[in-house]
Amino acid sequence: MTETSQGFARKYATAIAFSLTSGFWMMVATFMGLLGATELMAPDITENIGWIVFGRVRPIHVNLVLFGFVTPGLLAAAFYFIPRLLRCELYSERLGVITVIAWNLMLTLAVITLAAGLTQGREYAEMIWPVDIMVVAAFGLVFFNFIMTVKNRTEPILYVSVWYVLAGTILTACTFALGNVIWRPDTGALTGIPDAILLWFYGHNVFGLLLTPLAAGVTYYIIPRACRAPLYSHTLSLLGFWSLIVVYTHIGTHHLLQVPVPTWLKVVAIVDSIGMVIPVMAFLINIWYTARGRLGEIHADIGAKFVFTGTIWYFFVSIQGSMMSLPQVQRVTHFNNWVVAHAHIGVLGFAGMIALGGLYYVLPRITGKPLFSRLLADFQYWMVLIGITGFMVVLTIAGLIQGQAWLNGETIYRVLAPIHPYYVARAALGLIIFSSAMIGFYNIIGTLFFNPGEAK
Amino acid sequence: MNMTPRAVVIGSLMILAAVVFSVVIMPYVNTSKTVPSEIFRSRAPEEAAGRAIYIANGCVYCHTQSIRTIDWGLGAERIAQAGDYIQDHPILLGSQRTGPDLSQAGGEHPNDWHTAHFINPRFTRPLSIMPAFAFLGEQGIENLTAYVQSLGLMQADKRMVRQNYWKTASTDAYERGPEANVQWLHNMVPKGWREVPNPYPTTAAGLARGHKIYQDSCLGCHGPVGDGMGPAQPYIYPPPLNFTILKDRGISGGILYYQIMNGITGTAMPYFKRELESEKIWDVGNYVAVYFINQTDANAEPKGIDAAYEP
Repeated sequence: MTETSQGFARKYATAIAFSLTSGFWMMVATFMGLLGATELMAPDITENIGWIVFGRVRPIHVNLVLFGFVTPGLLAAAFYFIPRLLRCELYSERLGVITVIAWNLMLTLAVITLAAGLTQGREYAEMIWPVDIMVVAAFGLVFFNFIMTVKNRTEPILYVSVWYVLAGTILTACTFALGNVIWRPDTGALTGIPDAILLWFYGHNVFGLLLTPLAAGVTYYIIPRACRAPLYSHTLSLLGFWSLIVVYTHIGTHHLLQVPVPTWLKVVAIVDSIGMVIPVMAFLINIWYTARGRLGEIHADIGAKFVFTGTIWYFFVSIQGSMMSLPQVQRVTHFNNWVVAHAHIGVLGFAGMIALGGLYYVLPRITGKPLFSRLLADFQYWMVLIGITGFMVVLTIAGLIQGQAWLNGETIYRVLAPIHPYYVARAALGLIIFSSAMIGFYNIIGTLFFNPGEAK
Repeated sequence: MNMTPRAVVIGSLMILAAVVFSVVIMPYVNTSKTVPSEIFRSRAPEEAAGRAIYIANGCVYCHTQSIRTIDWGLGAERIAQAGDYIQDHPILLGSQRTGPDLSQAGGEHPNDWHTAHFINPRFTRPLSIMPAFAFLGEQGIENLTAYVQSLGLMQADKRMVRQNYWKTASTDAYERGPEANVQWLHNMVPKGWREVPNPYPTTAAGLARGHKIYQDSCLGCHGPVGDGMGPAQPYIYPPPLNFTILKDRGISGGILYYQIMNGITGTAMPYFKRELESEKIWDVGNYVAVYFINQTDANAEPKGIDAAYEP
């Protein structure tokens, strides 16, 4: 690639804008996580500052991680590889940049409203109606840009990454609107038990129809490229793609096994949760067989290294998730920090790692120069890896202590003291993750704007 | 299979539509016909205002409102039913128990306990990790308290009637002076219990246990030296008991045990029988007797058969 700096900025403006978005909001999102973790450790540290009370910090953290850090990170890679896979220009970089600007406005508005206590009070669906509309519109615009690019393509065959990105964006636009009860602007909720069923249908689809397909799309692009090897199996791609959409969408009710919802629905949720092994393993076998014997190539590319590590976490979090849907397992794991560990493995270990990998893989190819600092990227890799491993260990132990103690007849209050040390360790690990986010943003800025490297 | 754009987009949308039909719309047909449960009632405006505060401040992230069949250990007396939630909009089941389940919290404590607890949870519960909510202001705390007191609906109402009845009686006793108040408190303990001394001897280990339990559970109201001047004291009426007034007024290990076990409904004194095992209640009672009342009947007659571990 021999473009001038202006050239690459124009050609990949949307991918660059989403990279900056992801890097910036990763800092804010992980800081919010660190703040919440600190409040659980020392509750009076922010005493009577209403807009950062724990119950407002938590939804800000969660929404920013999902829609500020991980999704834009994965989309940044998608805006790079979709035109390349289709052998054409993106339909409109201008529309893409407008989308990113709207996206950032939406995130800013989300932070302000949630901090002000303006929330719909439903986990993963907290944002108020005007913000909801902006989210749906943003996904609509992204999908429109992609589908129009597909229309203009010169490559007749759609590669599997394209399927995942198309499905992930359009299905999320639909389930987000449905799950946020967008036809009821005042509350964004149904009433009673149906509200719980709809909420968890949507809540689980944030992972199933947004993070997982986008992360799979990025992985399917980067791993074969980094390995310089053809994809192992087209059939497995097909199986993984369709089974993901069929199976993942059924499982939300596994959050409600102890709640009075229809038993048949619980059975469907449990059976499909176990059935998740099919899409997960179809994807992983396909990727891992592609990479077989070529781990050296992956290790040589920091982006591919992040992505491959993400697939290992995906294996772990998926098998764990299937197990956690079993009622006998939930007797211990339900309602405690075990689930918090699981969520962090999924969103940071799997989707977050792959989002970072996507950024570090595409940025040098956009600029035509090496990363600003490969060392810092590697350092961030180890910080995230140590942080997420630590989260898993610490929060799983805390969850087991809580779950077993409760089953043993202890009250919540009696178990606060035993888990306190783990809250301290979690906050320390959060500091590592937040620091890594700052390093990452510095590296992204450096790569794009202050890159001394020679053009390849 | 030829994955054309049409196959990918239309195909996945059709699958989604089918799944929405089966796991959202079909259950809706079923669950939208739920009838009210036997405890159901609508919320008063003040309670609804409190619920809005509960939502705005994300209380749902740490408190469930859903008693499960496996929750015998929490002492819940009632498993949640679909008919409890028919006006909950949105429903606030929660997904974490960083703090206790609240679905039956109404009437567990009187309003003044909640005021002190919302001003700063450490005032009444020294180990709590809940945020302080003084920033909500007096009206906000009042509404939030009204909401919490409504949790459990008609069952909570029954408990609130009991709280209010005993609030009047205990206030009346307090206002008649220390002598009358102590007599009233003792008379509220069944006669058999009053005559039981603490059956265990005073030991260094027992006092150390009592000290730890006192710090974890009692200090917020009764204060570090047992004079009833803990940080919660300004918000509570009748105020926390000053233990020193119990001396030479017929106090016994049995009275202390009974009051710690069952609490004193109507006052801010909660019951501890779900939180503390028997030995711990005797130990903290003896700690109070030894250090604050300076008069203990530990190991006095009649004590029955000696405990096996006694030195």
